Amino acid sequence: MERDVLRRVELTRVYHFSAAHCLANPGLSAADNAALYGPCARPHGHNYYLEVTVAGVPDALTGFAVDLERLDRTVTRSLLDQVDHHRLEDAPVLAGVITTGEGLARAFWRTLSDALPAGELQGVVVQETAKNRFEYRGEEG
Amino acid sequence: MSARASTTRRFAFSAGHRYHVAQWSADENARAFGRLTVPHGHNYMLDVTVRGPIDPRTGMVIDLGELKGIVNATVIERFDHADLNADPLFRDRIPTTENVAIAVWDLLAPALGPDRLARVRVWEDPTLFVDYDGA
Repeated sequence: MERDVLRRVELTRVYHFSAAHCLANPGLSAADNAALYGPCARPHGHNYYLEVTVAGVPDALTGFAVDLERLDRTVTRSLLDQVDHHRLEDAPVLAGVITTGEGLARAFWRTLSDALPAGELQGVVVQETAKNRFEYRGEEG
Repeated sequence: MSARASTTRRFAFSAGHRYHVAQWSADENARAFGRLTVPHGHNYMLDVTVRGPIDPRTGMVIDLGELKGIVNATVIERFDHADLNADPLFRDRIPTTENVAIAVWDLLAPALGPDRLARVRVWEDPTLFVDYDGA
């Protein structure tokens, strides 16, 4: 392999948590929320998968672009501890967030981009079920 | 003008490796890598993405048979049931997932053409993958 070229890779770690939630816009009545969100307005839960993507250049000696232990520790302490086997509406990192997959992905991005070294985070994917997958890469309108 | 699209095909190989820096003492290696200094192995998965125009005659970006043949001949036959540390590609590099992805790119790019190869994704296990796109 060429030794002098800095070659940037993206590394993605897949985490898992199980949590309860219900979809509700606090500005709407219970009847309006039930009409808007259907069955998702009732308290229920999911086995979520969270993909965290970070970028880096593999170190010439260790071959690591990212310290995985640090990444795991950061994601666990800043996020997973608050959501795994909790009601998502009770998690401080989700205060004021409607807990759709999109809402979770954006909120988790904000938490992780604060907790990780600047510029390291590239993307967050929230998989709510095997059929629903939500990705956020920091784009604001 | 032909429309452009991407085709991704999944491959698998099982390989052994260990993390060990030759110029470090056993203690330094243990501190840096922990249990990863012990020889062990993984069922790797490899997703190869080819990007290009859809050929108006075949309707394909690439013939999957051609892609399978190239990836099998250049990567899978080399890495499947192999000790990655013994491969010359890893003489000066530890076979971390990051470096395996770069090595796979280096094997595939000349065979497929760097303009056709769009991305390689190497899964070390179902919880960890690394993407490299030649950058």
